[in-house]
Amino acid sequence: MSSKQIQTGSVTPVNPPPSSSPATGEKRGGGIESSPAPAASAEGLWLNVWKEFRRNPIALAGFYAVCVLALTALLADFLANDKPYYLSYRGKTYFPIFRSYLVGARLGQWPPELLNVDFKKLEGAKAFFPPIPYRPSNIDLFAPYETPSKAHWLGTDKLGRDVMAGMIHGSRVSLSIGFVAVGIAVIIGVILGALAGYFGSWIDLTVSRLFEIMLSIPTFFLLITIAALLPPSIFLTMTIIGLTSWVGIARFTRNEFLKIRNLDYVTAAIALGVSNRKVMFQHILPNALAPVIVSVVLGIAGAILVESSLSFLGIGVPAELVTWGSILHEGSSATFAWWLAVFPGAAIFITVLSYYLVGEGLREVLDPRLRGLR
Amino acid sequence: MASYTLQRLLLLIPTFIGVTLIGFLVMRLAPGDPAQLRAAGGLGGAGGAGISLQKRGVVDQALAQWRAQFGLDRPLHVQYAIWLKNLCTFNFGDSFKDNQPVWSKIRDRVPVTVRLNVLSILLVYVVAIPLGIYSATHVNSLADRVTTLAAFVLFAVPLVWAATMAIVFVCGGDFLYLFPPAGLESLDFASDWSLWKKLKDQAWHLFLPVVLLSYDGFAGLSRYMRSSMLDVLGQDFVQVARAKGLAERVVILKHVLRNSLIPQVTILASILPGLIGGSVIIETIFSIPGLGQLGYESVLARDYPTVMALFTVSAILTLIGILISDLLLAAVDPRIAFGRRQQ
Amino acid sequence: MRKSIPSRRLASDLEMLRRSWRLSLALLFCLGCGGGEPAETGNHETQKVAAQEDSATPVTGDWLISHALSDPEQLNPLTSNDASASEILGYVVENLLQRDPRTLDLKPYIAEARPSISQDKLSYTFKIRRDVHFQDGHPLNGEDVLFSIKAIKCPLVNAPFLRVYYDSVVDARLLDEYTIQFKIKEPYFLNESVLGDIGVLPRHYYDPLDLLKNVTVADLQKPPAQLPPSVKQFADNFNQNYSRNPMGSGPYKFQSWETGREVSLVRDEQYWGNGKRGIDQAYIDRHLYRIINNPDAALVTLKSGGLDEMGLTPIQQVRGTDSERFKEQFKKYDYFAPNYSYIGWNNNHPIFRDPRVRKAMTYFTNRQQMVKSILFGLGEVVESPIYFFRPEYDKNLPHYAFDPKKGLELLREAGWRDTDGDGVLDKMIDGKKTPLRFEIKVNSGNTTRKSVALTLQDELKKHGIDASVRELDWTIFLDDVQNHKFDAVMLGWSMSVAEQDAYQLWHSSQAANKGSNFISYKNPRVDHILEQYRREFDPKKRIELYREFQRILSDEQPYTFLFVNKAVVAVQRRFRGVEVLPVGLRPIEWWVPRALQRYGQRLTAN
Repeated sequence: MSSKQIQTGSVTPVNPPPSSSPATGEKRGGGIESSPAPAASAEGLWLNVWKEFRRNPIALAGFYAVCVLALTALLADFLANDKPYYLSYRGKTYFPIFRSYLVGARLGQWPPELLNVDFKKLEGAKAFFPPIPYRPSNIDLFAPYETPSKAHWLGTDKLGRDVMAGMIHGSRVSLSIGFVAVGIAVIIGVILGALAGYFGSWIDLTVSRLFEIMLSIPTFFLLITIAALLPPSIFLTMTIIGLTSWVGIARFTRNEFLKIRNLDYVTAAIALGVSNRKVMFQHILPNALAPVIVSVVLGIAGAILVESSLSFLGIGVPAELVTWGSILHEGSSATFAWWLAVFPGAAIFITVLSYYLVGEGLREVLDPRLRGLR
Repeated sequence: MASYTLQRLLLLIPTFIGVTLIGFLVMRLAPGDPAQLRAAGGLGGAGGAGISLQKRGVVDQALAQWRAQFGLDRPLHVQYAIWLKNLCTFNFGDSFKDNQPVWSKIRDRVPVTVRLNVLSILLVYVVAIPLGIYSATHVNSLADRVTTLAAFVLFAVPLVWAATMAIVFVCGGDFLYLFPPAGLESLDFASDWSLWKKLKDQAWHLFLPVVLLSYDGFAGLSRYMRSSMLDVLGQDFVQVARAKGLAERVVILKHVLRNSLIPQVTILASILPGLIGGSVIIETIFSIPGLGQLGYESVLARDYPTVMALFTVSAILTLIGILISDLLLAAVDPRIAFGRRQQ
Repeated sequence: MRKSIPSRRLASDLEMLRRSWRLSLALLFCLGCGGGEPAETGNHETQKVAAQEDSATPVTGDWLISHALSDPEQLNPLTSNDASASEILGYVVENLLQRDPRTLDLKPYIAEARPSISQDKLSYTFKIRRDVHFQDGHPLNGEDVLFSIKAIKCPLVNAPFLRVYYDSVVDARLLDEYTIQFKIKEPYFLNESVLGDIGVLPRHYYDPLDLLKNVTVADLQKPPAQLPPSVKQFADNFNQNYSRNPMGSGPYKFQSWETGREVSLVRDEQYWGNGKRGIDQAYIDRHLYRIINNPDAALVTLKSGGLDEMGLTPIQQVRGTDSERFKEQFKKYDYFAPNYSYIGWNNNHPIFRDPRVRKAMTYFTNRQQMVKSILFGLGEVVESPIYFFRPEYDKNLPHYAFDPKKGLELLREAGWRDTDGDGVLDKMIDGKKTPLRFEIKVNSGNTTRKSVALTLQDELKKHGIDASVRELDWTIFLDDVQNHKFDAVMLGWSMSVAEQDAYQLWHSSQAANKGSNFISYKNPRVDHILEQYRREFDPKKRIELYREFQRILSDEQPYTFLFVNKAVVAVQRRFRGVEVLPVGLRPIEWWVPRALQRYGQRLTAN
């Protein structure tokens, strides 16, 4: 049970499928273990998975939500920007948002008449702005703490920054932290878990001790320590979340490897002289991936939770970056500005929920025994 | 069994060293010099702000001295060794902030955090176990689906959000005032109040923090209980029991429950490390003087001895938890202690 | 009584407190040093009305429950570091001299009279009052004063900045039981005030074994290795065992400290100063500091009667304290605290070497609006490093209004243009094309400074200047500042209400070796003025010198001066004698008429 999920900082839930025990990783009394049949072909398996997955309406809803979020993050600059899509000014037409990409990549320049202008105040110009005509960094000292209104759909914070813009651009931070952190966790976890499960003996012993160490560390506390003491940077936060949350993945991988290693086809491969590395990563791993996939999805949700907790405490986020957690942080001190508390929290909630639904949906599809019970 | 116990105990030692070493390295290797914090800010000085150069030398010397006093100028491995040695005599050193022995600072706060977490754990078990049982015995019914969905929703609610919403909406801000926004007891708490009054006051103050700490446990544990019961329900011996003609209720309560409850105890192993880290957010938001808050403040103040001590305490708690759960499992399932892996 | 907190304490305390925005609020009300003008909001009328209602004679009784944002770190009178400790200790320990709260002149306190100063200004002789005794009844004499200076000068006591403050004291000697003479290294106009700041500690309490008996102040100047072991023994004992039990001669005795909950002081009924002229009389029976970390929770507590006095945050000043009910119960007092915040430009940086660029930056900073929006009106824009309300402050300095056009003009004049159309100005400096891009460093935990930095960043972006803001943990920040590893920093200085010496900050010699002139400002004329100033004992001439000094700084803008902060305190209306003074609020003068007293039956004096 991952009752203290954020708190332990263990991004990948310590709630494993009932087939492995939390601490020792040994098999316990439980059901009859049935190992997943080796896939005939990888593509066939995943297509089946997708078909099964689609049958679950709730999980599907979650999936669509995740897609929407991903799109929002990708298209943030087009959804909330202080530059217009299209500008017709003094007879010429421009596309400022695209232009800003070019300039940022050093592939273009601003024409002198558009250098550092306020696009909203150009006289005689016809401009077509994104739905949210602000960037999260646009400060307006004359409009602090505005309640949600037509001008600012979700209100403003203490510096007059638009909350909606902050949330849209904040999704980028949240999602990228999720992906990178879990990416790191997966790499470390899979490798260590595979080594432990495959070779057994002293390697397994050492790695299991490592599991225990990582589990015994008050992870959230460690995160706070590192993030608070080092200069704040997103990369640092991503990395340390990843470094402290690989244990769940490692354990699943180890268990799967333990199970699969004893199967006939593996024994055969070894007898045929296939190198250890090939056996591990070409023969066993593809079949061991099922719980790992689930962990990845759930792990992303966990990483987002952890990151928002850290930026809520005011650590780990650079000053200029607006993230969901940082808006929430303001909301906790300016309690009359309820919109600062409600919306970013809701965004985190919806994101995390969507990932959970997808993860659970995947697990139901991939875990044969649960399927058997349906 | 005895040898297994011994084995497990011995294996604790490297784990313990590993955890404390990591904590130690993190604190020491992080940039920033605690002497600066201790010796008052560093920029200020004589007269109207600022400090003249001649005096700078005096200050630097004093800082160096302070570092030497706390052994911060020795090489890292020496510092760690000294710290370990002191640990054997339960000497956690003195806090950098106020020279109080770290142990007494921790000791003062332990009851608070323990109270909070024990109540939370109790609440979780009291709510989640029955929920899990009900779900498992009425699998796929409407109630089951609703509970499952509710569990997900609860799981996904970020603690920081729930706590902030609580503070904003029900703790005396612009909206409702149902619960106090801070502290463990009312300010006019007097020791001559009746026991009932004291309990009521405590409950009023602790309600929100405990519920907030517990809600994701409701979700997690009930799901875990459900799936472990389903596991057991699918086994042969249950069918046998039913075939024998035992009433369903007896089957569930006597046979199934006993077998599925045991793994729930192992959850304790994952709860104990959360004791310190987990409370940080709640204790910070609600100004509760517990270990989590102490940890957070000590990190910011670079109070190395206190941080190390908290790390150690947390490590010990976790290791104890893991040990207990492993021993319990071994006691129940002989295969673990005596049967090794088939490899 | 140490209510006028020595500046060196403030400066160091302040920077430490500013680490945490919550802690920095403690400063606002705990300092009690501020505004030169009397309170605006009509508290004079309140006083008159009150005087008519009850008799004007103060009576003892009742408690004052004040708010503390956090526990004081510790209550050792020499080694403690933070403002809340200073406030508490100010009631327990008294100084040789005190600043008159209204005229700001030095006046005798534990000393019988102001010291007699030798012709060469190197020798100060104080006569001690004969009627003073400590809170445990023990009489106070020169031995205790001598002990106090020895404890300060002892290099093994954990009080480096305090020691540095007294660096110029080279010896101290008792001429007789009640007369002490201090020998000073070099003449300095602030020496009398420095010596007057010595808090007199009871030797029998803090050095029960009299370990410092045979050590002289001159001896203590030696390196620690050469000191006798008794000194180390004393220092260890002093550092470790006196964190929670201060004792002195002041009107309030330390009663108890429950960590995380409260600190309690009780009035000493046997106070030596009762009824004596020129000595502050204490009326409130008990000072209770309730520790509430969360300012919102504290406000709720204030409103429900659990607190009598509280420093309000800027937001609270504007919201939540304006209802009729609130106004019936509480009165708000505001006053200026003697501090200012600024943006320090690294004068050695290729971009900021040019004063025109620095001036332009000042034009880009909308300080007026920042005071309105970020400080919620609780502040005042300043143009110079001198405390706003002192006579030396030049009110005729040119005011740099928010004027981006002028800023752009200056930059253009200085040769900055956007030659490559990427939206950022650039210029050829030392043969390299340099964009106008730099980083502002801020220390974490201070939301006001962060807001100012972000606002400036946003404004600069509109004009082609790419500034980034970096928030750093205090110790790392400090390191960078001291080693000049920055482009621009946002910081603040705090001062005392008394005169200050600008030498440390602005003299070119103070730029090296982690000195306080970390922006590396060099101006020979300013150097000369500062050197002259230190030896000038005529206040009128000093004012003239400082006028010229301020004018030069205004022209060169080595800092962009931002604002001086205002503190707002809400006080329960039953208290009388509440007045905003040049030093701020002085609760020691407050009292409550018998009919309105709320607490008091439970006065337990130890």
